[in-house]
Amino acid sequence: MQQLLNTLLTGLTLGMVYAAFALALVLIWRSTRIINFAQAPMAMITTYVALTVIDADYSYWVGFTAALLSGLVLGAAIERLVIRPVEGKPHINAVILTLGLFIVIHAVAALLFGSRYRSFPAPFGVRGFQVGEVNVALTGFGIFTIGSVVVVMLLLVALFRGTDLGLMMRAAAFNQEVARLLGVRVGRMFTLGWALAALVGSLSGLLIAGGSLVHPSYMDSAVVFGFVAAVLGGLDSPVGAVVGGLVLGVSLSFVSGYVGSELVALAALGILMVVLLLRPGGLFSHATPRRV
Amino acid sequence: MTRTWTTRAAMAVCVLTAGSLAAACGAGGRPDKDEKGGSASDVGITEDTVTVGAHHPLTGVAAPGYSEIPDGARAYFDFVNANGGVDGRKIEYLVRDDGYNPTNTSQVTNELVLKEEIFAMVGGLGTPTHSAVVDFLNKEGVPDLFVSSGSLQWGDDPGAKPFTFGWQPDYEIEGKIAGQWIAENMPDAKVGLFLQDDDLGVDSEKGVRRFLDDQIVAVEKYTSGNTDVAPQIAALQAAGADVVMGFNTPSYTALSQLVALKLNYEPKWFYSSIGSDPALVGSLLARFSEGAVKDSASLLDGVMSTEYIPGVDVPDNPWVQLWQRVWDEHGKEGELTNYRIYGMSHAYAFVQTLQAAGPDPTREGIVDALEQIGSDLEGPPLAPFRYTEDSHLGISGLQLVELKGGVGEELTPVLVTDLGDAPIEEDDSATEDAPPEDGIPDVKPVG
Repeated sequence: MQQLLNTLLTGLTLGMVYAAFALALVLIWRSTRIINFAQAPMAMITTYVALTVIDADYSYWVGFTAALLSGLVLGAAIERLVIRPVEGKPHINAVILTLGLFIVIHAVAALLFGSRYRSFPAPFGVRGFQVGEVNVALTGFGIFTIGSVVVVMLLLVALFRGTDLGLMMRAAAFNQEVARLLGVRVGRMFTLGWALAALVGSLSGLLIAGGSLVHPSYMDSAVVFGFVAAVLGGLDSPVGAVVGGLVLGVSLSFVSGYVGSELVALAALGILMVVLLLRPGGLFSHATPRRV
Repeated sequence: MTRTWTTRAAMAVCVLTAGSLAAACGAGGRPDKDEKGGSASDVGITEDTVTVGAHHPLTGVAAPGYSEIPDGARAYFDFVNANGGVDGRKIEYLVRDDGYNPTNTSQVTNELVLKEEIFAMVGGLGTPTHSAVVDFLNKEGVPDLFVSSGSLQWGDDPGAKPFTFGWQPDYEIEGKIAGQWIAENMPDAKVGLFLQDDDLGVDSEKGVRRFLDDQIVAVEKYTSGNTDVAPQIAALQAAGADVVMGFNTPSYTALSQLVALKLNYEPKWFYSSIGSDPALVGSLLARFSEGAVKDSASLLDGVMSTEYIPGVDVPDNPWVQLWQRVWDEHGKEGELTNYRIYGMSHAYAFVQTLQAAGPDPTREGIVDALEQIGSDLEGPPLAPFRYTEDSHLGISGLQLVELKGGVGEELTPVLVTDLGDAPIEEDDSATEDAPPEDGIPDVKPVG
């Protein structure tokens, strides 16, 4: 019973982190219709920015804010400088560029910050709560993780469903020519989409890092599982991304605890295949799948 | 106009990427080799140099701690070179980063053997990594000395791998010695095993089970690279284990301690020597002590482990004083650490072996020499080597310690044993070995 509870709760926290990462992928997909493979190293770089700020004796929250802001700037900069030149060409060009960025950013981070493991502080305790005899494997930081991902998801739903800006972003992604004819500044929408996605990505980086160890490739497993979570949810839906993340995090935690940790990656693939066979568009897709 | 600008930017990105790739691939050039003179006795040996190589994880999951090993070895080789080298030859030490990824290990080993033409591999690190190249090295006839891993496969079958020699006590004897102590001193303990899912886990479990088979209540394995070990630790807790024996790398010691905090799980911990360095694990955990502990090394207080060479916690030991002198004179920045001492210790053994191989060393000759005099070599290890024609296994024993304030307090004297049901016996024959005055061994050539 105790093990069941602990496995469930650690899976839940982990799932929320995958969800945050999936949200960033969904954001870019919704606003530009490409998959950003460089999301993980971008988040890694901004986490290192936070660590540098914290090491300089500023508070955790200053580092936190610095990471989010640098994510915003980094996202916009990459869109303007790297992705914009291939705009209007097949989407695959941009996707391959993000793969290249993945490698380049990794190398740059190793040069700038070194490749050794470093511990990353958490603003709340890393000790689990104890209720009577039962230990609840949920830390203060775990609750913060869950809360912040839910808030981000709600904000994104509100942005896309309830504001003109969100509508323009979707229009620009869906059909550039028509959107332009209707007066949407398509280029700016793309930049904004990237900037916001990188911001959410930075958040996921900070959430994974908190109370654990970071090194230049600490986000690499998140890129795989976050991508699976996003596809599970349909790639198009923020709610889907969060549900996908939770399903994945909890299932993988159970596989690891009760079957064997060597099967975790295989289980993720299995879940993905089953979902895609039953619902090719993902759990929460509204539109028919587009061919890229 | 915009189009021209963006096209140029795209070009620039392409050129920069291509450039950095080319730079990454082109690292290291063919050394200028001097084939003249009679003393170029084999590949990698010239009149005045001996070129040796090693693969180490300088980046990635296994890099913390382990990446310091080659720094230590290099410092000792520089020290020897500064004092005239071995038989007039300077030791050139080439280290390649494999990131603890076997695919990279194959690639860098190919480069070392075929392009750099090393005489021998010295201290190549890691079980999964070195497994990928051990057959290649033996096929090419490259001496593969002092593999930095405790897997049995480096030494239990010299017929199959005649050029490969182990170094540290193998995981099986470490498991046996720790298992026997727990069986005798904690007969009622429920033991849980936390194992890396490769030879490290398999070999050590074999040793531990020899004494604790009835007491083991759970065996949990983690896959190196997957940093979420919460499910494994939760399973050990659920099984009611009150002694947990971890055979894992240092990062996983830190991760398992963090998870235990989260689960409010407080068993008695044992970590094998490869995962228990108090300075390293303490530095990883220091941020999480919530201000409760000032001295990061004391975070592992009460944890049991093993030692087989004197480390930084005994600064008065003559070997450690020698290593300190070497590090002060030839080391890079940073303090002397246990990992650097580990590197220096196997570098010392290599110098001894090279001396034993005589003034015109050959690849076959150095292997023969080590088989003949290996078990008599006097060096920093607390127990003798086991090298003979029938066994290429390394150090034969170790002692159990309990960490307190970063210092290992002895729980047992030095205990030696061998594979299978070989008895565990006290042996202090090697503990009194002292280093030579000048810090450089003086081993007579064999034959």
